[in-house]
Amino acid sequence: MKWQRKDILAIEDMSVEEIRHILHTAKVMKEILMRPIKKLPTLKGKSVVNLFYEASTRTRTSFEMAGKVLGADTTSIAVAQSSVSKGESLYDTAKTIQAMRADLVIIRHSSSGSAKFLADILDAGVINAGDGQHAHPTQALLDIFTMEEQLGEMDGKKVVIVGDVLHSRVARSNAWCLQKLGVDVTLVGPPTLVPVEMAGLGVKLTHDLDGALPGADVVMALRLQLERQQSGLFPSLREYSHLYGLTTERLKKTGKQSIVLHPGPMNRNVEISDDVADSVEALIERQVTNGVAIRMALIYLLIGGSGNVVA
Amino acid sequence: MWWLKEVWVIDPSQSLSAPRDVLVKGGQVLEMASSMTEEEVLTIAQGEPVETINAKGKFVFPGLIDVHTHLREPGQEEKEDILSGSRAAVRGGFTTILAMANTKPVIDNRALVEFVLLQGVRAGYAHVLPIGTVTKGMQGSELVEMVDMKEGGAAAFSDDGKNIQNAEMMRLALEYAKLTGLPIISHCEDKDLAGDGLMRRGVTSARMGLKGIPASAESVIVARDLLLAEETGGKLHLAHISTTESVNLIREAKARGVNVTAEVNPHHLIFCDEDITLTDTALKVNPPLGSRGDRESLIEGLRDGTLDMIATDHAPHTQSEKTRPFAEAPFGIASLETALSAVWQYLVLPGQLSLDRVIEAWSYSPAQRFGLSGGTLKPGSSADMVLFDPDFSEVIDSATLVSKARNTPFLGKSLQGFPIMVWVEGQLVQRNRTVI
Amino acid sequence: MEGTFKSKILDADGIRRAVTRIAHEIVEKNKGTDRLVLVGIRRRGVPLAERIQQYIEEFEGVKVPLGILDITLYRDDLSTIDIHPIVHETDIPVSIEGKTVVLIDDVLYTGRTARAALDATMDLGRPERIQLAVLVDRGHRELPIRADYVGKNLPTSRREIVAVRLQEVDGEEDVLLLQREEDIQTQ
Repeated sequence: MKWQRKDILAIEDMSVEEIRHILHTAKVMKEILMRPIKKLPTLKGKSVVNLFYEASTRTRTSFEMAGKVLGADTTSIAVAQSSVSKGESLYDTAKTIQAMRADLVIIRHSSSGSAKFLADILDAGVINAGDGQHAHPTQALLDIFTMEEQLGEMDGKKVVIVGDVLHSRVARSNAWCLQKLGVDVTLVGPPTLVPVEMAGLGVKLTHDLDGALPGADVVMALRLQLERQQSGLFPSLREYSHLYGLTTERLKKTGKQSIVLHPGPMNRNVEISDDVADSVEALIERQVTNGVAIRMALIYLLIGGSGNVVA
Repeated sequence: MWWLKEVWVIDPSQSLSAPRDVLVKGGQVLEMASSMTEEEVLTIAQGEPVETINAKGKFVFPGLIDVHTHLREPGQEEKEDILSGSRAAVRGGFTTILAMANTKPVIDNRALVEFVLLQGVRAGYAHVLPIGTVTKGMQGSELVEMVDMKEGGAAAFSDDGKNIQNAEMMRLALEYAKLTGLPIISHCEDKDLAGDGLMRRGVTSARMGLKGIPASAESVIVARDLLLAEETGGKLHLAHISTTESVNLIREAKARGVNVTAEVNPHHLIFCDEDITLTDTALKVNPPLGSRGDRESLIEGLRDGTLDMIATDHAPHTQSEKTRPFAEAPFGIASLETALSAVWQYLVLPGQLSLDRVIEAWSYSPAQRFGLSGGTLKPGSSADMVLFDPDFSEVIDSATLVSKARNTPFLGKSLQGFPIMVWVEGQLVQRNRTVI
Repeated sequence: MEGTFKSKILDADGIRRAVTRIAHEIVEKNKGTDRLVLVGIRRRGVPLAERIQQYIEEFEGVKVPLGILDITLYRDDLSTIDIHPIVHETDIPVSIEGKTVVLIDDVLYTGRTARAALDATMDLGRPERIQLAVLVDRGHRELPIRADYVGKNLPTSRREIVAVRLQEVDGEEDVLLLQREEDIQTQ
């Protein structure tokens, strides 16, 4: 296929063909990543700017590594977002980056739609590394990559995503991605975190984890933001963990050799017990490795050829 | 003197919707007749020059009265000021506008009321009438000097976006405002339910990951204020109604005889939450755009009189404030210059609302409820008047808007049906879309 | 094909003889098959490498390790070519550390592919030496690179195209000389 995209903003508007192409490219990238000498000349002279308005060491590092392995020059701008009213607006920052003639910008921002906002201004490519509660496309891609690496084609398989679905861009992007690839997706959590309107994503909703587990090939636990308790969304970590925490005992209910994913960082013994987190079924570290491969693939696809280069 | 020949007159105050010849002289509507000869007109003119407008196919109606505008002066003149706002008003067909109290500082004493009033007179376009706050500093704890402020020219009281969260405070306000005969305007928003939501909670908000505001954030306050108005016998006006539940509550309350009126904004009649995209902040508005079903209920409510009036909630903001990610942009649509055309094009032309009802709801009803002059073309009344050309179309362009604000969803789009002449007290202030 | 036929350079037998000879030369030059690794450059270098592996096995009785190299990410023209090249996997099942790596490709022309393949190989480890085998050397080098094993030396004009067609990839088996289409049109 001919790659046409300037930006990676959300899975929602991607075709299955594009997703497959990314996964194929990531497979090649993973092989490179496993080499002793992890350095390619591919993107020599290309500049990638990491613009992170939310602290996220792991995602930022993953993008940085991905860019560096491909030979690009990566720069990170960590912007403390103490207050939106203070400091330079995203619009002005975008103009500044434009003037610096960056080839690709990776943005993480607390506002939904901020990646699209940036992409609309910039000639350079933009990769959304998480915008508010909207989307986290690279996470969804690395998740499906990890699932297929372990289980083969996911078409017709069953994935259960459990946790704070309402506030989760990871859940949203996964829901879009998995559905497109023919996966049976169920979102699980308490009614306050899995409200009825989430059905708009086109997936199944339930508040009963034990009822959802039988037949699940993949169980994905989401990170629980502990401050949600103060907002009254759930009464206690104890009750949450009792109802929705992944334990070895509970995982047996799938009735098969299921794999466990978590986008990290984990709250151990809240959404996932120690023994599950450290079990062979948990591919959490593999997700991290695959994350670099997926990001390499995307960076290559966006700025590797002339069709996507800023004129 | 003006002679509007063969114009279609819509004047709900006289239950009139028919072709007429209209004469305007000395700042007043002088006479209306089925047809006049030149001799008759010259006799009436008594030597005064007569400008004749051949207005066949056009409408004349009382100048629109907008009970909900934000003119931002004093304090936020970068967004709008009373001069630019009142120019925008007459360009859009409004001859009287009520200026909301949430300026900086808020309008919570007579001196500030008189300042706004005076700035409106100095501007010399639409009549600008101040709305005072209900509580000092909009803090929700102590009532303002309502009687003194009324004497200074206040037309109503409202804590606007702050909304009085304390039910006892609201009850007291409804009681005390009886001394003035002026309505308390409720913004109808429960702050806890609304939270830091960005759009109406629903499937669309869930899809986009934009924090939702439940419909109940409005309806619970509507219910509360209706009960308080019923209990106190106070005079209540509900601003920008946007949900089906609110419309139903108001309909029931009116049936019980509660002293309440309610307004609806054009954008809630035209758009719904499905129209919002992640980066289009022009549709970020509070209360947020509701569901399709809500929109149908609002149109129905306006048709059957449950909703008494249309009001713009003209909320000007600067370009740089609106050129931000959705969550960071302020709420509001600047609509004085486009509202009437939008209602004409999206609601009257497709047959959802009659023009007669629109004029009643946007002119006669507000005048009645707020005790204002205008809203009528009865002979002898002040000539606040609009000549409307249903065929005139215009692209909404940054260069031609006279408001300081550009935050309209119609920017760059074409609208049809515009006021082409506007008189305030018989004085022509807008001609062929240009403010004089 | 992007050009019009001019002449057939090799038929199936010709290819078989050339590849067999290359296989013999590889063994002869390296004094056996010890520490030898064959690496086919995608795409048509891969079936050629497989054939060489098979021939060596036939006359030496040894299966020499075989790898596949994709040089897309090492191309020096990535930022100027229009169509985004699809990357494929590089798969070399053995360590090349201290080995003799024989890179195998169909045509040697400017030398840029060979240069990319050298870089790609050396990023995988430090072989003792790297050799290059090609079915056709058509000249017009732009880099100081030469092949150690050549099936057929073919003087060409830059306006000509050398089309190698192999059964495994193309369903045909020959080497053709073609004239570029655009040149014909402008004549």
